[in-house]
Amino acid sequence: MAAGAFLKALSGLNCPRLLPVLASRLSNRGYVNGQLYSTAAVAQTMTSSDSLSGNNKVLTEPLKHPDFFHLSELFSLKDLFEARVHLGHKKGCRHRLMEPYLFGCRLEQDIIDLDQTMELLQQALNFTAHVAYRGGVILFVSRRRQFCHLVECTAQDCGEYAHTRYWRGGLLTNAPIQYGPGVRLPDLIIFLSTLNNVFQQHVAIRDAAKMNIPTVGVVDSNCNPSLVTFPIPGNDDSPSSVELYCKLFKMTINRAKDKRKQMNLLYGVKGSSS
Amino acid sequence: SRGSRRYNVPLCSRSSRPHRRPLVFTYRSAGATAEKPKSGFAAAFELHSDLQQHGRRRQIPDVRVVRSFASLLRHSPLVQMGPAKDKVVVGKIFHIVQDDLYIDFGAKFHCVCKRPAVDGDRYQRGVRVRLRLLDVELTARFLGSNTDTTLLEADAVLLGLMDSREATPKEKERDQ
Repeated sequence: MAAGAFLKALSGLNCPRLLPVLASRLSNRGYVNGQLYSTAAVAQTMTSSDSLSGNNKVLTEPLKHPDFFHLSELFSLKDLFEARVHLGHKKGCRHRLMEPYLFGCRLEQDIIDLDQTMELLQQALNFTAHVAYRGGVILFVSRRRQFCHLVECTAQDCGEYAHTRYWRGGLLTNAPIQYGPGVRLPDLIIFLSTLNNVFQQHVAIRDAAKMNIPTVGVVDSNCNPSLVTFPIPGNDDSPSSVELYCKLFKMTINRAKDKRKQMNLLYGVKGSSS
Repeated sequence: SRGSRRYNVPLCSRSSRPHRRPLVFTYRSAGATAEKPKSGFAAAFELHSDLQQHGRRRQIPDVRVVRSFASLLRHSPLVQMGPAKDKVVVGKIFHIVQDDLYIDFGAKFHCVCKRPAVDGDRYQRGVRVRLRLLDVELTARFLGSNTDTTLLEADAVLLGLMDSREATPKEKERDQ
């Protein structure tokens, strides 16, 4: 009775590893000394799992800091401005949902608010870094033919993946059939441009939302930012701005992976880097 | 001598000689509150050094001050240029496909111009050229659509190579 209540209380906590251990121990003992045994069992499992606590330290330590990877030093407002990130399309091309991200309209050309872009870019890079830190699979997607080689090189340089060609229908939603059973889907999809060649929203945005895959996307003033998890309002047409994004993502992912190796060495966890 | 000790400058300095001073001007505020008002040469020197500081401060780019986005935008060449119609700008050729020259002049999009008959061989990658802008982005609203259709290109007329002669056109190409 006490053991049942204790197990129920523990299941509220998110420690799946402890539950089967405790359940087996408690079922072996009798109910006479139920409460005493339950507390002793907890104490034993907590102290015996040293490797477990080391692993947890590696995973939980970065979550305690707002900017664990010091990504705010990678870019500044002046860098974004000089890379022409603030330039949007003409007023007639504007998407209604991008209006909150615009600074204004000058001679019919939309200007994107770089103050908001700075914050959103920081959040997006931070999220990317955490995903890369935990060994997640990252997929770069862009359908701009002008930058497809650059995006593929960026993905190769940081050891991740890219898809800059025609997107066939069920690549995410029908993956077990198209690729084979047991295929692993990406943990994060980064869009360097959220539109395809005919100025419609890329299919991967909707499919990633269906498959619960978070997305980071550079949204220009003619894009729809609503389904993108971490939108980055900015120019996606100029070579200078796309080069800046690629450079930032590459540096972020490499920094996060190096930090993971460093943390593994620091906390003495062997063979747990994926 | 009191003036020289405080300001670290020889007494015989004149306005025409440039002063070699560090960018941090903290000594002035420390001295002003503790002392009685200066007179004679000290007052004149202080006034003169103020003018010198203001003049010098405008010349040296102050890298410590973080300018706001609104200020950067307002002073940017694109905004200072005004409407793009018939403005002469300098561009750089970054790509060539036989007779088509892809020229970037510092705006969101590049423009594509035909190689002119005059001096055609001199137009290679990296060459700077003069352009007369017509439009920064070619867009039009067609019947039946909700938004404009954009060509992702600017429109400009190629005037010629960038020679080092006469009145410089509005320099929009940023040196990076």
